[in-house]
Amino acid sequence: MIEAVIPQASLLKKIIEAIKELVDEANFDFSETGIRLQAMDKSHIALSFLHLRSDGFSEYRCDRSQTLGINLNSFSKILKCSANDDQVQIKAADEAEALSLTFENSAKDRMSEFNLKLMDIDIDSVEVPDMDYQATVSMSAQEFARIVRDLGSIGEAVTIDATKQGVRFSATGDDGSGNILLKHQKSVDDDSTSATTVEITEPVSHSLALKYLANFAKAAPLADRVTINLIEEAPVMFEFKISDMGHIRFYLAPQIEEDND
Amino acid sequence: MDIVKDESSSQDEKPNKKAAFEFNLSSQAPSAHAIQNKRARLNRAKMQTGDVVMDDVLNTELPADFSKELEKLQKADAHISDPKTTWPRPEAPSLDIMATSLVFQQMEIDEEFVPDNNTVIPRLFGVTDEGYSVVCFVKGFFPYFYCPAPDGFKEENIPMVIAELNRLAQQNGQSSNNNIPGLNAVVDIQMCMKEPLFGYHGNVKAPFFKIIVRNPKLVRPMSQIVKRGFNVHGVGHYAGTFYESNLEFTIRFMVDTDIVGASWIELPAGKYSLRPSTKTFCQYEVEVNYNDLIAHEPVGEWSKVAPLRVLSVDIECAGRPGVFPEAQIDPVIQIASVVTLQGQKMPFIRNVLTLNTCAPIPGVHVMSFENEADMLSQWAQFVQTCDPDIVIGYNTTDFDLPYLLDRAVALKVQNFPFLGRIRDTVSKVSSTHFSSKAYGTRDSKAVNMEGRVQFDVLAAMRREYKLRSFSLNAVSAKFLGEQKEDVPYSIITDLQNESAETRRRLAVYCLKDAFLPQRLVDKLMFLVNSMEMARVTGVPFNYLLTRGQQIKVVSQLFRHSSRQDLVVPVIESQGGDNQYEGATVIEPKRGYYDMPIATLDFASLYPSIMMAHNLCYTTLLNRQTIERFELVKDVDYVVTPTNDCFVKSSKRVGLLPHILKELLSARKQAKNEMKNETDPFRIQVLNGRQLALKISANSVYGFTGALNGRLPCLQISASVTAFGRDMINETVKEVEKQYTMANGYEHDATVIYGDTDSVMVKFGVNTLEEAMRLGQEAADHVTSKFINPIKLEFEKVYFPYLLINKKRYAGLYWTRPEKYDKLDTKGLETVRRDNCQLVPLVLDTCLRMLLIDRNVDGAVEYAKNTISDLLQNKVDLSMLVISKQLSKTDYAAKQAHVELAERMRKRDAGSAPQLGDRVPYVIIKGTKDAKAYEKAEDPIYVLDNNLPIDTNYYLEHQLTNPLTRIFEPILGSKVTSLFKGNHTRTIRVAAPTTGAMARFMVKTNTCLSCKIPLKGEYQHRAVCKHCEPKLPEIYIRNMDVMRELEMRYARLWTECQRCQGSINREVVCTNRDCPIFYMRKKGQKDAEEQAKVMDRFDYTW
Repeated sequence: MIEAVIPQASLLKKIIEAIKELVDEANFDFSETGIRLQAMDKSHIALSFLHLRSDGFSEYRCDRSQTLGINLNSFSKILKCSANDDQVQIKAADEAEALSLTFENSAKDRMSEFNLKLMDIDIDSVEVPDMDYQATVSMSAQEFARIVRDLGSIGEAVTIDATKQGVRFSATGDDGSGNILLKHQKSVDDDSTSATTVEITEPVSHSLALKYLANFAKAAPLADRVTINLIEEAPVMFEFKISDMGHIRFYLAPQIEEDND
Repeated sequence: MDIVKDESSSQDEKPNKKAAFEFNLSSQAPSAHAIQNKRARLNRAKMQTGDVVMDDVLNTELPADFSKELEKLQKADAHISDPKTTWPRPEAPSLDIMATSLVFQQMEIDEEFVPDNNTVIPRLFGVTDEGYSVVCFVKGFFPYFYCPAPDGFKEENIPMVIAELNRLAQQNGQSSNNNIPGLNAVVDIQMCMKEPLFGYHGNVKAPFFKIIVRNPKLVRPMSQIVKRGFNVHGVGHYAGTFYESNLEFTIRFMVDTDIVGASWIELPAGKYSLRPSTKTFCQYEVEVNYNDLIAHEPVGEWSKVAPLRVLSVDIECAGRPGVFPEAQIDPVIQIASVVTLQGQKMPFIRNVLTLNTCAPIPGVHVMSFENEADMLSQWAQFVQTCDPDIVIGYNTTDFDLPYLLDRAVALKVQNFPFLGRIRDTVSKVSSTHFSSKAYGTRDSKAVNMEGRVQFDVLAAMRREYKLRSFSLNAVSAKFLGEQKEDVPYSIITDLQNESAETRRRLAVYCLKDAFLPQRLVDKLMFLVNSMEMARVTGVPFNYLLTRGQQIKVVSQLFRHSSRQDLVVPVIESQGGDNQYEGATVIEPKRGYYDMPIATLDFASLYPSIMMAHNLCYTTLLNRQTIERFELVKDVDYVVTPTNDCFVKSSKRVGLLPHILKELLSARKQAKNEMKNETDPFRIQVLNGRQLALKISANSVYGFTGALNGRLPCLQISASVTAFGRDMINETVKEVEKQYTMANGYEHDATVIYGDTDSVMVKFGVNTLEEAMRLGQEAADHVTSKFINPIKLEFEKVYFPYLLINKKRYAGLYWTRPEKYDKLDTKGLETVRRDNCQLVPLVLDTCLRMLLIDRNVDGAVEYAKNTISDLLQNKVDLSMLVISKQLSKTDYAAKQAHVELAERMRKRDAGSAPQLGDRVPYVIIKGTKDAKAYEKAEDPIYVLDNNLPIDTNYYLEHQLTNPLTRIFEPILGSKVTSLFKGNHTRTIRVAAPTTGAMARFMVKTNTCLSCKIPLKGEYQHRAVCKHCEPKLPEIYIRNMDVMRELEMRYARLWTECQRCQGSINREVVCTNRDCPIFYMRKKGQKDAEEQAKVMDRFDYTW
């Protein structure tokens, strides 16, 4: 038996929006500690991990670990039937064939209930081992989304250069080029949502496909800040912390020429 | 167990890792008996799509083992001590030219230039009934053209005209040979009475000049001189139009001597002479005057076939990795040749020339050479000695023969390039460009081998059949039921370099490639049918592969017109595409008909229209002619629906109707003879003939409509189709008027569909007998309304009938009420080849269930199961392969197969598809906005790297539309339930082992029961904590899976070993056209994966 209550439907909506660009179907692993999801995009370049801790829910119960296969497009369609402020309850019996979703408005005078048929998804489970990153950039999630949008109109790939001085995003396209520099701010003040910090052991530079970053940026509404973790010749990790609840992480493989394989 | 012992030797041979694994699994191969039982058990069990397909393949008759076959041949030939003694033809006795006539079947006709008198003389190559080869030079035949003689010309002035024309020719620089006086361009002019072909002229002939010139090259310039005008003694300046100047010399000669392709020629005793010198490799070299040779019409006794020698060749080259073999660099390592006498089952010469040593092969004459040049020169000598009449092979024209010649040039083998029958003529490679409406455009190479016919089976295949793949494998599998081992290019060199044993293996492979074309030719009766086509249409045998459709009609047209003293005009190609209206298609009343639908067909519609209305060049009228001869409409002439006028047969029988009548009556006769014939070979010949006659009759109409053709006449072709349309409409009206309740019938009949020459009638009756009776009656009734020989025939009843759209339908085909003949489909994906094989398989099965078993629920269930299997990745990869021909590289829009070919070229240029190849690909998952061309991938690459298949693509783009089309008429709007619902909720996604991310990820185990990721102490175990109580059950389940997979893989492996004809060696075959290949690969992979799963159970017990 699984039961979880999220106070605001908007949070769940944002989470699903952020993932469904990468995959159509995914397994949600429910356990006592919370919900995990991992999904690899179809072109095997990006990987996303979602972790929602049980204590972040207003109510959470999971008698035994269970994996629910969900079609994200269908899930998203059902979530659209909720108002942003609605409280969401998700429920599934053991060996259930459907996931039950109940939306309740804040006035507690309207309740709607939906059932989402579950899928049996046979997929290999993977992990990316922890790495010692050479540089970690922490910046405003909104700023990140904006940079991705702006540079997306210039070119197809963005180069991220992390140095002690700060982080530079640059792109070149047929019509011109552009770059955006965010300077490292030494002390993080209290109103630090807009400040950028760079922790660095070695300068790193990475070139990444903007179309994936645009997908990742869909997670920006979930978090104030995003950290970009870089290391030479390994996937870049983007982490959005979901306040009091967990995180969503995206790994993006460095661009390699196909001829090399 | 024997098998296992043998297997271990294979491991020693090639100690590479992959092979070792394959060996491991196969060493567990159960005995044949066990497999048999297993197979039986599996057949009984309900199976997945993939299994069904595989078992179909396994259950087909296993091909006889090739090596065993060769051994059998060895026993038969045991008495032959030196195989080389079998090479030459039987010793030819000397000819007594005064007493015996020389009779032979000519297979090739060409010309020889004689510089001495600047003429060209026809040469006939052939074989006598005893198998002696003959070349016959024909003297005294000159090319010519016609020109109307001016009014008032007197015949005695001809010498003056000749002189005048020769003067002009001289002036024009067209004199035949300035160095040799007396060799004038114009040899002679004769007066004759002729009539132009085009238009009706009241059957009046007019005097024509027949201007005979010295050689074919002079025909065109002389006709231009005539057109410009010249002084005619006693008439003055005269410019004439020219006729028949564009007829090829060879055809001209054949027309005038009544020789047809592949016919028998008799040189009467005393009329021919032996040539003094031996310029050729032929046994008899004779000369005859063209008036003296007798051309036998190929009927009765003369429809026989001489014991022609057919040589089939295949070569192997040792290429470098990643590069297609280049003759400049890469050596030829083996040449296999087999020679068969036409009509015999088995080749009497079988040999293989190998570079470096080769272990003996029973039944085959193996000749090993240290030096490649020696090998080549031995082969050339072999060809000259065995003197084949026909050279066949698979892609020999484009690859094997040019490669040998180029290689000989590179190695400077002086005595090599003499492969023809003329001793001093060098065989060369040239490039040709072939373009035909019917056969498409193709760039190819050509090698000249004078006197020998080249018949490339690949080219014939491409002409006759539309296939997914034209590789020798695919074609053999389809037509012979034989799969063959396909040794990948990349390991040929390795096999060559290893040992005499591996070279023997290569040699057997090479020999098989030489055997297969011969078998294809026999099985598909290519030679017999082509010979009959050559005989019917009168063109030389080699034209059938090198020329298009038109020349066949031209040949017949000239033959008949010369008999009727007609002269054929020269029409300059107009080009353009002035389209006329084609056939009619009646708007279909779509739906599923669970009642008999009768089909009425016009027999040979277009030919019969031309005959019925006397449509021809010779009967075409214009206003002036009608007025001049005071012709009366509907009495003397007909007005066609396109307002063209043709005179009736009472005034003049048209030439085309006459030709058609002859063709159709000859066909009827051939069919009658077939009925009475008992000799199977004769039946084949007759069947080939009736087919050739049918095709010829139908191509006449097309000839008149080909605008850029020799003799287009749109008045004819447009009238033909217009009559056709009217007749179909008339038929509909007549049937619907006659068969009504008002006329006392049970129901009102409706025509539900009609196309070109047929109508489908719903009589409303429920029984087949009733529908057949009414169909027959209606056919007779409607026929009576039309002019003879137009005939509407009742052919068949469809019951039930699924009418989907124009040119798309399916139905059960009945010609007798007792038993249906077949399931007939038109325009459905079952017959198209631009989709993956899953589509025709599913469609065909569904249609069978719907129409034969009448089991709608079963069909729905089957379709759903297939979709479910697809989504779970259980469908065999070979079922998902799509193939498209790579015809040119510069497509404007990016196409999947073109892009993929480019990518494959980057990976490995050697194995990448070449221009003209069909490129196989599967669609893999990609990003959301990825284009289809980005998602196409090489099936082998997909297998190797475990790339996930885009199952949704296959569901939405391949299956949905075809399935909707056939189910919609039955299920109505419920049809969408096929594609949605519970059966689509279980999916399987493969995790790739390649790609940018793969290097950084670590696979984590999930619980085998509930799929939850395993953590901590459970990390390497089989199940999670919750499922632990069920462990034994889960273990047994997985063990069963493991056993199943191993068994399956072992069976596939054994199958491949059997196919390669040896169980002692590892399987190296990468035959992409063989369904087993993909299954074996997948089977190996699945077994490997499951073995890993089984390891996880090891932690306790």
